[in-house]
Amino acid sequence: MQLSDRVTGLFLVALGSVAAYGGSRLPPVPGQQIGPEVFPMIVGISLAICGGLIAAGVGRRYENEAEAELTAATAQTEDAPDAAEPSPSRWRELWVLLPPVLLIFYVYVVDWLGFLPTAAAIVLVTSLALGARGRLAIPVAIGAPLVINLLFLQLLRVPLPSGLLPLPWIGLP
Amino acid sequence: MSEIAQGFGLVFQSDVLLAILFASIYGLIVGAVPGLTATMATALLVPITFYLPPIAAIGAIISSSAMAIFSGDIPGALLRIPGTPASAAYTDEAYAMTRKGRPELALGIGLWFSALGGIFGTLALMALAPPLASMALRFSTFEYFWLAFLGLMCATLVSRSSPVKAIASMLLGLLVSCIGIENPAGTPRFTFGNTNLLGGIEVIPALVGVFAVSEVMRAMLTAEPPKPERRRLGSILAGQWALTKQYPKQQFRGNIIGVLIGVLPGAGADIAAWVAYSVSKRFSKEPQKFGTGHPEGLIESGSGNNSALAAGWVPALLFGIPGDTITAIAIGVLYMKGLNPGPTLFTEQASSIYALYIIFILANILMIPLGIAMIRASSHVLRAPRASVMPVIVLLCAVGAFATGNNLFAVLTVAAFGVIGYVMERNGYPVAAMVLGIIMGTMVEQNLVTSIMKSDGSIIPFFNRPVAAVLAAMTIAALLWPVAAWGLKRVRAQAA
Repeated sequence: MQLSDRVTGLFLVALGSVAAYGGSRLPPVPGQQIGPEVFPMIVGISLAICGGLIAAGVGRRYENEAEAELTAATAQTEDAPDAAEPSPSRWRELWVLLPPVLLIFYVYVVDWLGFLPTAAAIVLVTSLALGARGRLAIPVAIGAPLVINLLFLQLLRVPLPSGLLPLPWIGLP
Repeated sequence: MSEIAQGFGLVFQSDVLLAILFASIYGLIVGAVPGLTATMATALLVPITFYLPPIAAIGAIISSSAMAIFSGDIPGALLRIPGTPASAAYTDEAYAMTRKGRPELALGIGLWFSALGGIFGTLALMALAPPLASMALRFSTFEYFWLAFLGLMCATLVSRSSPVKAIASMLLGLLVSCIGIENPAGTPRFTFGNTNLLGGIEVIPALVGVFAVSEVMRAMLTAEPPKPERRRLGSILAGQWALTKQYPKQQFRGNIIGVLIGVLPGAGADIAAWVAYSVSKRFSKEPQKFGTGHPEGLIESGSGNNSALAAGWVPALLFGIPGDTITAIAIGVLYMKGLNPGPTLFTEQASSIYALYIIFILANILMIPLGIAMIRASSHVLRAPRASVMPVIVLLCAVGAFATGNNLFAVLTVAAFGVIGYVMERNGYPVAAMVLGIIMGTMVEQNLVTSIMKSDGSIIPFFNRPVAAVLAAMTIAALLWPVAAWGLKRVRAQAA
């Protein structure tokens, strides 16, 4: 998801303009000189200007300097572990979306499926995606949700949805 | 005097002490694991502090962040991977020392000077806050407006990125803060008819997204960090006293730099460490030794990052302006616990403030024994496979965000801000500036609107009150500084 400055800059121009326009259509408050529209308009217009400057490449030099300093600092020792990552393919880069997708999955599923199975699924998928074998991923997927559920229920008194699989012991709500 | 005694009474209670102890251990572990930062440790701790009494909650935040900033040095020295960004500036120096066969010396410097720096920062907080508070009591909305604006500009000036991108990030944060009906007019803005957005974007889920989820997202692409070899470490504190006597100037200068940068809004421990390291190199008698495992820079920047942490609380307690990303989170906790930041906090809740000072000192003293234990245990902690740590973080993000308001929409906020944070970081937009914008947006707008109403639409009172005028001049200077620097370079280049 590394984009050129031109793309991110133009996106900010669009976002700022939309915000300023949306702000300008807010109803004024009768009898007040300054209504709810002023602040979003100031912010939106400034954002659009900044976006324009970024798209035009202003300020790029500072980034290059900071980057150069960082690479100079990390390039001295020779047999140290290689910090530079091979740049991943576009397809591979979609993997980064896994954690947010799992969080959205959690939101829509947890109420009927229950915390324990949902959490177990999330842990299992994340763990496997990070290259774990089943020997590690499955125990973590079973253990971590149980511990977290107990912690939140007993210590913090936050009940998590039980859904299809309530906590497997008696005496607890 | 009785307030100090009350402060001690507030701290020395079993629940507070237990909270400090557990939060310290938690902070040490999270800080030491590469990819889990001190800010993340603090953000994930917030849902837990909801259910703690006020002083225990503040104690947990303070001690976990202080410990995490120190323990970020451990993987830095052993693996050449900073555990937290605050250790990045001197990771190479510490690793070079390990390669020379003296890992215990590098780790000892980190521990000893972190603890001393933290105590110095606390003393600075104690010395600076009360006089500033009595001055701030006379501030009106005009001064608060400039102060908030100046805070936002500072955050953009000190970021290690393009100033234009930093300002854009900050404006993005301000735009996020516009969402909802929490504005002076009480008009719903940018809610798109969604009732969940009426209350605005909640800060804590946004922070958890930006600082925790985006970190897990990054882990999906990067290779697993290497594991340390098992080695026997010698005495950790041996020789530290000699170094303290040998380099008093470096230590003092590091502490001062830390305090100055900590007090600046938005700039925290990581920037303090970078600045302290480069200052140390520039003024050193033996700059050629830097990068080869020389203690000087380690001492200065190790002192700097921990003193910045405490000093970051100065603007947070006085004005509700975060000194760094950690205090940005802490401010939320202060409000939640009825300790609303502001100068009156120092008169009306003086005992709580003393308790806060005592916790800081206590945490930095506790850092030495716990830190030694952590260093000894580090080869085990650093061996924990990432594939078992990161899934638990994802789970804690979901449950923690849910627990802050019993609302699943917060979990969606976490996911969205995870993506936003990741994309921004990848493209050189500093997320800390956006966070500051989100937190301070309401404050800036509120003070701007109230001031304009008070002055009947005139902008003269923004400039003709003495303190406001000074703050205005500083803000405008901060705004114009990148332009001036650019112009100056241009002129010089043409002259040459």
